[in-house]
Amino acid sequence: MAVLPKTAAGRVARQARPRANGRPESRAARASANAPAPASRRAAAPLAGPAEPTQAAATHRSKYVYCIVEAPEPLQFGAIGIGAAPSEVYTVHYRNLAAIVSDAPIETLDSTREHVLAHERVNETVMREHTVIPMSFGTIFKTREDIVELLRSAAGAFCDVLNKMQNKLEFGLKVLWDRDQAVREIETVDQDISRLKTEISIQKGPTYFARMQYGRLVDAALQTRSEAYLAEILRQLREVAVASRINRPIGDRMIMNAAFLISRDQESAFDARLKAIAAKFDKLTFRYSGPWPPYNFVNIRLKLERA
Amino acid sequence: MPVERAASGASLIDVLDRVLDKGIVIDAWVRVSLVGIDLITVEARVVVASIDTHLKYSEAASQSILVARSAAGKAYDDLLAENAALRAQLGSGGPARRAAVSRRRAASRI
Repeated sequence: MAVLPKTAAGRVARQARPRANGRPESRAARASANAPAPASRRAAAPLAGPAEPTQAAATHRSKYVYCIVEAPEPLQFGAIGIGAAPSEVYTVHYRNLAAIVSDAPIETLDSTREHVLAHERVNETVMREHTVIPMSFGTIFKTREDIVELLRSAAGAFCDVLNKMQNKLEFGLKVLWDRDQAVREIETVDQDISRLKTEISIQKGPTYFARMQYGRLVDAALQTRSEAYLAEILRQLREVAVASRINRPIGDRMIMNAAFLISRDQESAFDARLKAIAAKFDKLTFRYSGPWPPYNFVNIRLKLERA
Repeated sequence: MPVERAASGASLIDVLDRVLDKGIVIDAWVRVSLVGIDLITVEARVVVASIDTHLKYSEAASQSILVARSAAGKAYDDLLAENAALRAQLGSGGPARRAAVSRRRAASRI
């Protein structure tokens, strides 16, 4: 892959811009200049965009990238970008692909509450109308050309994944239980455990082994019980979901930490199903969130190599 | 218990759980040296290292078992290879060396 040195690309861009008033530049220009694709795109974008934020671009050429979408035409999302003063969110294009970006100074962004929520807010906004492949937090490119280069290099992967994620949304589901209550229930239901418990409470001498045995049995019973819940909940949700991912539960109370990929047209069906499940398992707590970009269902790892 | 859907930005933990290492991730040596990804001036190129789309109904448990098994399998293969190499060495070492080895074994048994 030939990466054009920046100086050359920049020069082409500057030359191209003044006479880029007539629209039908692109076909020939793009065909002849296959390598300097960044340059020709850069020249083409300002005339196509209704309100290209040129002033902001003058202060920061570097850009934060939120996600990749399929969009042949420039898009604007308003001043909802990351940063102390909210920046305009717009698109950088390569063919049918677009990166959703905002101008940002070159600096390491800490994953503070404010920054992370801004990243998510933009994704959420774009997602209302488009299928997105979300970018992980904190990716800043030096120039627009670098982003075009990214889109060009990974175009195959991006198109493929965008196709697969077309009209699908992610939802998160965490299920929690009251562990102590579950233990009490097990003690009444399981005969071995209840017998051991009385033994321990009435025994005068050392109860070490009885307590060990009791602990083992309770742990095993809790495990079986939470697995049964999990299996039943999954079985029911599977019918309305495209895919699911089970992540590691966080903390003692959580028995399920899952993400579901849902077709947009199945959203209300999933919603209804989840409410029915929650009504049935009324001792469990359900934490349901979304829609999210399909973070749990897309993982594209890109490497940069010295050419 | 009624279950309400929370907006995706409602819980910071949920957001962090997703945005830090999922989606498109760029392993960038450039980021170590200078902040901001620079493909043009430093003449870097983008290589797709891996693409995973999870479009199945996956169960975490079965996955982790598979991983553990394949890791164990690899260790076992390594062990077999090492064993074969050692046998070959022993074989070429001749009777004197073999005797030395068996003496050592006898000693260790005592």
